[in-house]
Amino acid sequence: MATAKSHQHYAKQLAQLSLAADGSVDAERVAGVLAYLAKHPPSRPLPVLKAYHRFIAQELAKTNAVVEHAGAITDATLGAIAGALSQKYKRPVAATGRRNDALIAGLRVRIGDDVYESSVAGQLAALEASL
Amino acid sequence: MSSVLEQIESQIANLTNKAVKQNTGSIRTVADGVAKIDGLSDVMYNEMVQFPGGAIGIALNLEADEVGCVVLGDVSELKEGDEVLTTGKLLSVPVGKGLLGRVVDALGNPVDGKGPVDSKETYPVERIAPGIIARKSVDQPLLTGIQAIDSMIPIGRGQRELIIGDRGTGKTTIAIDTIINQAKINKVGIASGDPKFRPVYSIYVAVGQKNSNIVRTVAALEAAGALEFTIIVAAPAADNPANQYIAPYAGAAMGEWFMENDMDALIVYDDLSKHAVAYRQISLILKRPSGREAYPGDVFYLHSRLLERSARLNGKGSLTALPIIETLAGDVSAYIPTNVISITDGQIFLETDLFNQGIRPAVSVGLSVSRVGSAAQIKATKQVGGKLKGELAQFRELAAFAQFGSDLDAKTKAQLDRGNRIVELFKQPAFSPIPIEQQVVTLWALQKDYYAKIDTAKVTAAAVSLREFFATRKDELLTQIRTEAKLTDDIEAKLKTACDEWAASSAA
Repeated sequence: MATAKSHQHYAKQLAQLSLAADGSVDAERVAGVLAYLAKHPPSRPLPVLKAYHRFIAQELAKTNAVVEHAGAITDATLGAIAGALSQKYKRPVAATGRRNDALIAGLRVRIGDDVYESSVAGQLAALEASL
Repeated sequence: MSSVLEQIESQIANLTNKAVKQNTGSIRTVADGVAKIDGLSDVMYNEMVQFPGGAIGIALNLEADEVGCVVLGDVSELKEGDEVLTTGKLLSVPVGKGLLGRVVDALGNPVDGKGPVDSKETYPVERIAPGIIARKSVDQPLLTGIQAIDSMIPIGRGQRELIIGDRGTGKTTIAIDTIINQAKINKVGIASGDPKFRPVYSIYVAVGQKNSNIVRTVAALEAAGALEFTIIVAAPAADNPANQYIAPYAGAAMGEWFMENDMDALIVYDDLSKHAVAYRQISLILKRPSGREAYPGDVFYLHSRLLERSARLNGKGSLTALPIIETLAGDVSAYIPTNVISITDGQIFLETDLFNQGIRPAVSVGLSVSRVGSAAQIKATKQVGGKLKGELAQFRELAAFAQFGSDLDAKTKAQLDRGNRIVELFKQPAFSPIPIEQQVVTLWALQKDYYAKIDTAKVTAAAVSLREFFATRKDELLTQIRTEAKLTDDIEAKLKTACDEWAASSAA
């Protein structure tokens, strides 16, 4: 009988197969995996697909940096951030801007599980915590 | 007010513009005080993580796809999808003398309503125990004030002595008596101005107990004037299991501060049975494989790493541990009791039968042992109490034999009579520790047969009368015994004169 762990393991293997040579998520491969699952559905497709969705979302988050900004931000800045992160993480990273006035000023860059905080709101929160 | 504003402005000005990197995750499930988190790819084992709303947690399960964290605090505000941050730090608690007289929770937060704790330092809750070279052998006494223990099962500073017995046999009472005795000794020693005097500070860790019991304990310590030398770490039964799991380690961290700053401390873990149960609960929720009695496989390590932190250090202080274990129906061969017995340097075994017979403290002299032994006794106690354990062992053999009702010879009757008197002599009310010099006097009188002509049932009262006599009229002699710590010919002569005087006044 398939257990929750075996579903997770299967979904993880499918997620690994969905990556291109450079480690980024390949849309064609994902389509191929989904077609395979439709043709050869596992005993319990829902938990497998949910886990697969989660793993792919995690992989996408590793290659897409969300740059939250309070004021205006140029494409050049986004490009520089993407380049720096690509160099740091040794994989191609794209940067997407998202306005967030709650930051007051500065930036917050989120990529995968890492958050780079250099906003005024973040520093004020750190100040509050230290007090 | 303007200086307050200036302070804040200077703090704001000192803020750097450097980007701070944090590792995050999001809560997938929260149940029974344990959160399963997606992400947190850089989290380390035992690292402190920050939940929204101020709750903190410890990462205990690092799996391929998720991190299992125990939440130390209120879980009711947490929900799926909440962001969790790593802190890069181990869980730490405040330490220092500012905690003396305070009641704190497992994280060092005050719960006694007396305001914030005055502490300048923090120590990590989990720490590696001192190595072999850093240690020194145990040869300084830690006096409990309980005659049966100080004379036959002596405890030294830096030792781990287990107190084990069924429910309601007086385990906590022995621990509290010990703490009260340390406070009494501290006050006398500090008042004497002796530069070589080393006070003993106490830490009482209450794990899984009723709040009413903790309140009663605090009240008893306060009434005896012992609270000013004591830290109470409270993780009652109403606390979540994670707090109950952390509390003994937090107490150990507070004790280590004293030890590493060249002071002596005593820590009581009341009790480790409930600590093991709390850890079992956490481990089962974290889906760790269970073993014997459903405890996780590392339940031995749970207690060994805690108790190994109690030691006597070379060139520094000491931390003495009195862990308490509750047995069921006197079964010392159960899993957790045998684990802790093998870790500690001896045990004080309390029997329900003795308790019900009125022998309190209900110490089973046959099953109790101190592996440090007479190395932790002053010479005076060795001189008067050295043979008592053997005498009591012979008495117990003869008492079993005498049950068959056969005629006994005079010598056997005398031995039985003497054994009964020794048992009576060791009876002691709760919260009434006896100073060591008074114990020496009491046992010296026993060795010189001053109780031989007194009815067995009246021996306890006679011993009390003897101690009162010495306390009121022979205080100088008591001080001499305390300071010299051995019975010289001069002291013995004075003791004889004083005891004769007491016997004459009692007879009259």
